[in-house]
Order: sequence, then structure tokens, then C-alpha cells
Amino acid sequence: MATAKDFVDQVNKINGVAGCLLVRDDGLVIDQTLGDVENYSALLQMSSGLADDIMTNVGFSHCHYLSFNRLNNQTFYAFPIDKYLLGILQQADCSVSDMLDRVSYLIGKVSTNQATSVA
Amino acid sequence: MLHLIDELKVIPGVMGACIVNSQTGVQVTNLPALFRVERLALVGKHLLKIYAAGRMSFDDLTDITLNYDESVVVARELEKNTLIFAICDPTFNQNLLSMSFNLLHEEFKLGNFTEVEAEPVTMVAAPAPPSPPPVESKISQALLAEMKEALGKILGPMAGFIFDEVMDNWLEQGAPDSSRIEELIDQLNQEIDDQDKIDKYRQLISSALEDSQKG
Repeated sequence: MATAKDFVDQVNKINGVAGCLLVRDDGLVIDQTLGDVENYSALLQMSSGLADDIMTNVGFSHCHYLSFNRLNNQTFYAFPIDKYLLGILQQADCSVSDMLDRVSYLIGKVSTNQATSVA
Repeated sequence: MLHLIDELKVIPGVMGACIVNSQTGVQVTNLPALFRVERLALVGKHLLKIYAAGRMSFDDLTDITLNYDESVVVARELEKNTLIFAICDPTFNQNLLSMSFNLLHEEFKLGNFTEVEAEPVTMVAAPAPPSPPPVESKISQALLAEMKEALGKILGPMAGFIFDEVMDNWLEQGAPDSSRIEELIDQLNQEIDDQDKIDKYRQLISSALEDSQKG
């Protein structure tokens, strides 16, 4: 899993990322730079599954990401990447669009879903 | 209550909104008719679950946003088991929508939505549609493809989905005969709902229609 860990390392270095975790869709945590991993992992699994159901139900195509927006501006993002889920906690004061562009770029390099700009 | 969510629709990029309660289903919606009530109820229930899961992790959760290729879904809990969500084009102004959600949430907390509960939207189960007949050679597949593509130039990313829905309805109403093509165009025009755009659409498909009639 060196590649996955490298990926988490690179995501974690992006300006605006306070921490991240990568989990497999069965819940196995591949790597993380956040605390409370079990909690975030469960949130990623549950929310992405439901987002997929909504997608199928309404007829949308690819889900780029979900975001949990908060009063403290530390938004939490869930990015489905093939069989993996990337969770990112955003720093409160950052350029969100720049951060999302960088994340999207990295995901595009590892995903077969050809992630495009998400910001 | 409808007038309150109608105000959301004025925001550029917002297609419409819906208020859902986990027990009583859809309370009110001003989304285009292609978003059927039973589907919206299911979407709302899923969003309520996502929101509840998010709330367990984040006490200060405000909104959740789901970013799909064609659309963005933004949801906010108004009270326990009741949620409002808007479906938007990807280019919508999130800050403006968030501010409007704040105002609407205040109205809700003040009890200005009480009339809602007296008259929930009746959830009529849609009859199972008959299997659509196959599109016969009477109507050209090339024409349909041209019409779908042209609709994309008028309505943007949701056009394919809208076209398929209208097409399904049209097929349910009768044989896929070229003599009914104007009915299909009329139904698409209702979805376009803007005379200038309707005229533009007619212009875009006119040559394909002529070719089809000659053929």
C-alpha cells in the first residue's frame, strides 16, 4: 500500500487540508492523518453509499464529492475514488477552490473515473 | 409555504427545492415535474440519513452538499426529521443559497410554515408504467439523437435526463409514430418553459425534422 500512503501524503500536503484519511469501501483504513478514524471511516462509508443510491434514483451520473459544511468553516469532504473513499478535513481559513482543484488533480491521476475539476 | 421556496428558485442556477419529512414525505416542492414526488421522498430520506450521520460527527453541521456531474444537491435540516434540499446547476452561487437557507430556516423556526403540516403533498403511487414499445423505424433514431443533442444546447447538463423522461412519457401515450413528433416537441417545450428558448430549439431541430419528413 505504499502508493496509497504516498497519495495520502500528497493530499495532506495540499494547502488548506487539515488532515485526511483513505479507506477502502469495506471500511479498512489504508492511511490517515486525522484522529477519530473509526468515526470518519463510518461517515465516509455510510454517506457515499447513500449518495450512490440518490444518484441511481434520480438518474445523475458520477458523484464527485460530498461536503459537510460547518459553522466553524472546517468543512469535511468525502471523495469516492473507485473502491476507495478519501475523507478530507479542510482548514478553516483557506482558498477552498484552490484546495479542491489540487485534490481533484491528484484524484484524476489515480482514478479510473477521470475526475475533472470539481471546484 | 410554496412562495418561500419559490424565492430560492430565483437564485441563478437553482432548479428548485423540496421540503421532506421522514414520516410524512414530501411537504412541498417546486422542482420540475420530471422529479417525481415518490423519488423526491426517497432522496429526502437518504439526505436525512446522511445529515444524521454527519451530525453525529459534527455538532456544528449546517448544510450537506452532494456534487454530481450534472447537478449539485444542497440540503439543510429545518428540524428533527424535516429537511429542505435544493437541486442546482453546478455553476450555482453556494453562498447566496446558503444565505437564503438561513433566512428560510429562521422563518421556519418562527412557525411561518405551520400551514404546511395541514396539507402535505398527497403521495400517490404512480401506476407502474407499461413497458414502452420499442421505437419503430417510423421515427428516425437520427432525428431523436439530433433532438436530444439540440436540447443540450438549450437546457445544459440536465437535458439528456429531461429528454429521456419526456421520451418515456411520450412512448407511454401512444405509438412512436412520426405523426406524433409534434406531441413530443410540445412536451419538450413545456420543460423548456421559455418562449425564446422554445423558438431557438425549433430552429435547431428544423433541418433534422425536414430531413426526417423527406425520408
